[in-house]
Amino acid sequence: MFKQTLFAAVAATALGSSLYGATLSLAPAAEAEVLNYAGTTPALTMDPHATNDFVTTAIFRQVYDSLVGLSLDMEIVPGIAESWEYLGDNTWRFQIREGVVFHDGRPLTAADVAFSIMRQKDSRFYTALFGGIEEAVAVDDYTVDVISSAPDPILPRKMTRLFIMSQSWLEENDSLEIPDLGAEGAEGFTVRNANGTGPMMLTEHNPQVITSFVRNENYWGDFPGNVTEANYTPIGSAPTRVAALLSGEVQLITDLPLQDIERIEGSEGFEVVQTPQFLWMQLEMDGTRDVALDTWNNDETPIESNPFADTRVRQAIAHAIDAQLIVDRVMRGNARVVGIASAPGLGGYQEDLDVHWEFDPERSRALLAEAGYPDGFITQLNCPLERYVNTEETCRAVASMLDRIGIEVRVNGMVWPEFARMLVNGPTSSFHLIGTGPNSFDTQDTFTAVMMTRDAEANEGFFNWALYSNETVDMVANELPVTFDEARRQELYRIGLEEARETVSSVYLHQLMITWGMQDSVEAPIRSDATLTLQNVVIGE
Amino acid sequence: MLNVLVRRSAHAILVILVVSVLAFVLTSVVGDPVASILGIGATPEDRAILTERLGLDEPWPSRFVSFLGNAVQGEFGISYSAQRPVADLLLERIPATMELAFAALVLSLAIGLPVGIAAAVWRDRWFASALMTGSIIGVSLPTFVVGILLIFLFSVSLGWLPSFGRGEVVAVGWWTTGLLTWSGLKALIMPALSLAISQVALIARLVRAEMLEVLRTDYIRFARARGLQPRRVNLSHALRNTLIPIITVSGIQLGFLVAFAIVAESVFQWPGLGLLFLQALGSTDLPVISAFLMLAAFFFATINIIVDLLYAAADPRLRVRATAGGRA
Repeated sequence: MFKQTLFAAVAATALGSSLYGATLSLAPAAEAEVLNYAGTTPALTMDPHATNDFVTTAIFRQVYDSLVGLSLDMEIVPGIAESWEYLGDNTWRFQIREGVVFHDGRPLTAADVAFSIMRQKDSRFYTALFGGIEEAVAVDDYTVDVISSAPDPILPRKMTRLFIMSQSWLEENDSLEIPDLGAEGAEGFTVRNANGTGPMMLTEHNPQVITSFVRNENYWGDFPGNVTEANYTPIGSAPTRVAALLSGEVQLITDLPLQDIERIEGSEGFEVVQTPQFLWMQLEMDGTRDVALDTWNNDETPIESNPFADTRVRQAIAHAIDAQLIVDRVMRGNARVVGIASAPGLGGYQEDLDVHWEFDPERSRALLAEAGYPDGFITQLNCPLERYVNTEETCRAVASMLDRIGIEVRVNGMVWPEFARMLVNGPTSSFHLIGTGPNSFDTQDTFTAVMMTRDAEANEGFFNWALYSNETVDMVANELPVTFDEARRQELYRIGLEEARETVSSVYLHQLMITWGMQDSVEAPIRSDATLTLQNVVIGE
Repeated sequence: MLNVLVRRSAHAILVILVVSVLAFVLTSVVGDPVASILGIGATPEDRAILTERLGLDEPWPSRFVSFLGNAVQGEFGISYSAQRPVADLLLERIPATMELAFAALVLSLAIGLPVGIAAAVWRDRWFASALMTGSIIGVSLPTFVVGILLIFLFSVSLGWLPSFGRGEVVAVGWWTTGLLTWSGLKALIMPALSLAISQVALIARLVRAEMLEVLRTDYIRFARARGLQPRRVNLSHALRNTLIPIITVSGIQLGFLVAFAIVAESVFQWPGLGLLFLQALGSTDLPVISAFLMLAAFFFATINIIVDLLYAAADPRLRVRATAGGRA
């Protein structure tokens, strides 16, 4: 009796569940295009004002729009702000687009924009970019005035990194202040939750495991792609990342290691996409000290002068390094030689000036002799290991090239925290390799932050770690930030870039490439700030 | 028995204290967290403010005392890079590492025991030495290499197993387990195997050596003389007596597995404690580094206590000696 009842019960359940399953499959399936992609590091936080890490930024850009938009060619285009004009008196006026709603449905107004500006400008990660802003005022529902402490001709370009959040949403979730470190108690709400205006909505953020998005059906802008769902996984180990692409578990990986490019290109069904990054490697040399650090005479006694302060020595070094050879051999062709302190796509780039110093070791030796170092000298090259692509190999290549003109270079490899500490607590380095690029994607930044005579208190030449100093460049660095006339600006860029190249502000080497690997069926445009713009991704058959 | 427990616990606390001091000293030389957090573009004012906020400008003895005081209450501070309480992070990651370590232990025993028994029982046959040599290969290949090879074989070429992650996990209270889902089990196989392979040789050799000794004893000879089946003699009698040192070693091996899990976790992007620690080192995340080291010390110490107790429980002779020693 019992067995029969049991049998009947099981049969009924089986029948019922199969009917249910059948009805599910009868219902029309929605067109779901899912993109699974992987990168090296996770997004640190989903609060756009709490970090300036470029990988994290590339990820939350899917969710949070910037005030001014960026096209795929890194041109500034309308974003949340439809238009902008300079009113004079250090004030820029931004007209806010109407009809924009946040992901939870609430509408965006100028109040949200003004609040976001003030919140981000107070972030300790954005003092360099937005510290000059004094006030942001919502003039009416769709107009915001931004008042700075000094005239700022490139503010609109800087606003491509100003992210708009909802003031009311932040208030409801107790997050009007950016979650601070060392705070007691629970984590900030905005670390793992997001409410933006961007083309994708955040559904889950579990930092080490997965960050998931779904399409924002009410997006105000263009959505040419067909992605409805996207999942980002960090995979730190490079071979594992490549394996995940090859096995089909992910359809796209950012950060494809150089040694695997050939393999992916050779594999059927996969392709490699590259674009130059706004970051180039350069050798910085002591410009001011009386006695160079970590430098010796050929008999190992400490040197009593600073060879790097002599322009002839700087030029000698510049002419002794074959940057194209480094690109061909060390970078396996995956880099672009840089001839001036700027790159295509950056504001102020001058194409005709972009010619690297001629490789001429004979001239180098003559210059060295002229400067008083006919037999060269010994010096230490500080090298940040693993921070950039093939950093150590680049340092060793430089060392062997300089050896040929008589300068013995001892490569001192340091891990990044150590290297950073050497710069930040000092700076205490006369000769080092470093990667650099203007914060605001405009060459003006390179003048004011990297080449200007260093005065940390006044925030001048803050990144001028080797203490290069030149009057003409200082003049350009002072005048450019307050010049609105386009013709004069171009003139200043040219003067500055030429003078820097003549006096070798640094030995510019090569611009790094952003390299992605993806399945053939995926079309994903690549942008120089390493952002995968999900709204432009098309997943084919 | 109680004496054993009390003495071992006192030792353990001492060990944990020493480790915490070392961990703290380590964090002061491992790098500048302020530079890591803010990047090299931060103004001196910002850095000073953050240094003061994080309490890094105080002398390290006073920082250590407050750290210890908080740790005892379970307060490990907030992670600099994740901006979440460290205790939450650790709790989230412990299940992943534990499951991996246990799976690796089970696998290493499942492979090592039969190999060792076979090598001992059939020691005169040719494949006994072949088995031993084979297990040495397992030790010589680093976990990292084994992991990558497995990935390229089973994920890329065959497409059977996932190359990264834990698969679907089911939450049971605060514990998340991958053992209840098919994808979770599939994701566990390769990481556990790559960890286990390096331990197989040890287990096999140990089992073989112990078995050989036991098989020479009188009571085994008498059992055979009595006419008992070889299988009963070997497994029911001989093996049981070799298990005691195996248990001891396995306990210690578990500790090593948790430590070496770092390698497997970084290859397979396994979201466990090891990966957390590696990333904390890279970003100079001091609270996580110190908390992890203390947790590791606590774990090792606890395992050793349990193993000692199990040992005393399993071997009656030890019990008498222990209490005798206690009284004297």
